[in-house]
Amino acid sequence: MSTTEKKKEEEIAVKSKRKSPLRALLDFYNTHDLARPLLPFIVILIAAISISPIYFLAPVNLKVVLYQTAPIALLALGEALTIIMGSIDLTPGSVSGFAALFAGLITLNIGNVPYAIVLTLLATTAIGALNGFLVARLKIYSFIVTLAGLEIWRAVDLSITGGSPIYGLHQYSFLMQDFHTFIPLVFIITLIVYVVFLFILMRTTWGRIIYAIGSNEEAVHLSGTHASLAKFLAFTVAGFLYGLAGIMLIGTSAYIVDPWTAYGYELYAIAAAVIGGIALTGGTGHPIGPLLGAFVLTILTNILIIMGYTQYTIQEIIIGIIIIAAAPALTRGLRWVK
Amino acid sequence: MQGMNKQNFLLIAEGITKIFPEVVALDNVSFDLKPGEVHGLLGQNGAGKSTLLKILYGYYTPDKGRIIIKGNEVKLKNPRDARNHGITFSTQEITLLPHLTVLENIMLLGSYWNKELSYLNKEKYLGYILELIKEYGIKINLNEKVRYLSTANKMIVQMLAALSMNAYIFLFDEPTSPLSSYEVEKIFNLINMLKSKDKGVVFVTHRVDETLKICDRITILRDGKKVGTVDAHKTNEEELLKMMLGTNIDEFYFVEGRKEMKEITKTETPLIELRGIYSIPTKPTEVPLRDVNLRIYENEVVTIFGIIGAGKTELGKLLVGITKTARGDIYYKGKKIKIKSPAYALSNGIFYLTEDRRAEGIIPLLSVLENMSISAFKNVSLGGIIINAFKEREPGTRFVKELNIKTPSLYVRASNLSGGNQQKVLLARALMTGAKLLIIDEPTVGIDIGAKIEIRRKIREISLKTGISVLVLTSDLDEALGIGERVYFMHDGTIVSEYTNNNPDEIRRKIISDFSNIVKK
Repeated sequence: MSTTEKKKEEEIAVKSKRKSPLRALLDFYNTHDLARPLLPFIVILIAAISISPIYFLAPVNLKVVLYQTAPIALLALGEALTIIMGSIDLTPGSVSGFAALFAGLITLNIGNVPYAIVLTLLATTAIGALNGFLVARLKIYSFIVTLAGLEIWRAVDLSITGGSPIYGLHQYSFLMQDFHTFIPLVFIITLIVYVVFLFILMRTTWGRIIYAIGSNEEAVHLSGTHASLAKFLAFTVAGFLYGLAGIMLIGTSAYIVDPWTAYGYELYAIAAAVIGGIALTGGTGHPIGPLLGAFVLTILTNILIIMGYTQYTIQEIIIGIIIIAAAPALTRGLRWVK
Repeated sequence: MQGMNKQNFLLIAEGITKIFPEVVALDNVSFDLKPGEVHGLLGQNGAGKSTLLKILYGYYTPDKGRIIIKGNEVKLKNPRDARNHGITFSTQEITLLPHLTVLENIMLLGSYWNKELSYLNKEKYLGYILELIKEYGIKINLNEKVRYLSTANKMIVQMLAALSMNAYIFLFDEPTSPLSSYEVEKIFNLINMLKSKDKGVVFVTHRVDETLKICDRITILRDGKKVGTVDAHKTNEEELLKMMLGTNIDEFYFVEGRKEMKEITKTETPLIELRGIYSIPTKPTEVPLRDVNLRIYENEVVTIFGIIGAGKTELGKLLVGITKTARGDIYYKGKKIKIKSPAYALSNGIFYLTEDRRAEGIIPLLSVLENMSISAFKNVSLGGIIINAFKEREPGTRFVKELNIKTPSLYVRASNLSGGNQQKVLLARALMTGAKLLIIDEPTVGIDIGAKIEIRRKIREISLKTGISVLVLTSDLDEALGIGERVYFMHDGTIVSEYTNNNPDEIRRKIISDFSNIVKK
């Protein structure tokens, strides 16, 4: 760099530093993807600790928070993959519910847990691939494809058990154990998945293509990159993640699964992703965001229960309000929103 | 200059500074406008002219400085504030409602911005508009739907709407880019009318010749700072260019490299050959190709010259599998191939660089470096999957230097860069691919002179140094003749003529005569 250019960069840096600290903070917030989910996470954490330190910080309760966040975080990650690409996926709830039921049925009839897990994951990955094929190859809007998927897989759930639940799947208790680490296995699995995806989204070509598609798909296509293949893979991988979450749900739902397991969870997946800083317009968002977003949701529900608001509806209302409150942070800088 | 009122300036902008997160767009710039004056804002892309204009019409607020309108200091927080102070603007994007008529548009816009005018009192408003039309000598059909108007007429309608709101300061941002020379005259006539009515006009452009034609004073900006304000009648092109570019402008007219053009032996197998190509348009705006025959040999620069609508883009996109071939064959090194997609074309070493960098080229939320390497994964990654950050950075830094891309760093979002620099990033993307045939569609449209020269020189340099072939599609005859070793003339979806460019002046005359022959038919 020549000296004049160096001087100019210094000039810019100096001029930028001369802003007020509030301004500097806002600019940092706007330009760094991780800042967006970190703020609500810290806020809710502080709120929870201040409202009821005794009950919230009790190790038993913290464990509950961890194992309830684990499956939601995976659903949110799969959803985030889709949203970053500029699409949407409405199937997390139905597919993970299907996974829980499917694994339960196989375990009931054959008794072999690893076999059930493998088959279930294959099944949900195939469902994801089907979604991916319809969206990427046949070019049907993801909203339509996954809305149909939402209905279809819930219907499949209802038909394969005739409506009755499956009890006593204690073979899956290993998922909830902490093996003397205070962290339940489900959460460790989630963490490992997140670490892998942190690498995938930030350091691989596929990860970058996903962000690129969400930003300008036409440009990606023209640049000679396989955009359709990347899209297809994203939905497929999301299917895998939903399956994984579904299996975890067997553990977190007291070993009982029924056709309504995970009903409505797609909204949690989307909410967690959105709070996690994944803009619905696509192309941006930090990979860890959905995890933080999932935490925000679970801690929120947790603290509401501790405070005594056990009714489901009140929780839902408050979650809805939080989402709307978090949303403006995601549209900063946009002139209009559809 | 028109007669000066005793009144002060219409508009004074003092010490305007505007800083974006990583770029100082304007640094203590002052500007003023007198009634009955056309004041030009001249500068390269990225100089800050558009930013200054956006501050004047309230789209941005300055970090420092103040704006004084007719002697009163004002704070313009949004375009509505600006409108209320009599400031109106015209950008390249037309903000009219296409499915409504001229009259409806004017009435809607006018009554929205000006409370005194009422859409409900149509007759009164109509009378007012008719008076304006007579006063300004505008010839337009009030009942025509806006979508059927020419670009120039759309601009005139916008100006009419502005006049009906009693605007007295008119800001124009690059109004002449989409216009033909006849239409430019029309707009200039209207601007002169505005002058004679003591309105103030600010005219932003990077075209030096235009400022000399229409402006009374010219303010030159460079890199966010004001270089100076001159009297348009007392200056010339050379002086203005010097102020704009800050360098010696002996290399202004790009002619070098022609000595190295070689004669192509006809026996060589072309790298790409099109025989009897016909295309099927998939969109109503697409131009169908008819009986296109052309050859591109290895290690040469070929240009295709044609006006808008000639089918150049369609031809370029055919070579990467986007335009659908109905008939005819494509030969790659003598073998017949079917190009299915841009990815397939790239695997054969063919890369197409789009002219529409915003819609089809730049990926705005990705960084500059990521934009460059998106087509070159096989070169910067392990197995095409894991990206090697170091391997990526080296060519990135090299291209920023070689192409003189102005960016604070490789890692800022590409959307932060100015248009010309984005174009250079796309060129870097094309070069990083290692493709053997680069198809560049309109490499310098909408780019300032300094960058134009740089890019044209780069294109010739690339071909000479690395031996790749470049096909340049352009509507600029100077460009076509300045860099092409062989020049094709294309019109209405077909190739009209082909020339070896050994005598540019002669070829220019031949092409112009080819053109007039077509027009006569």
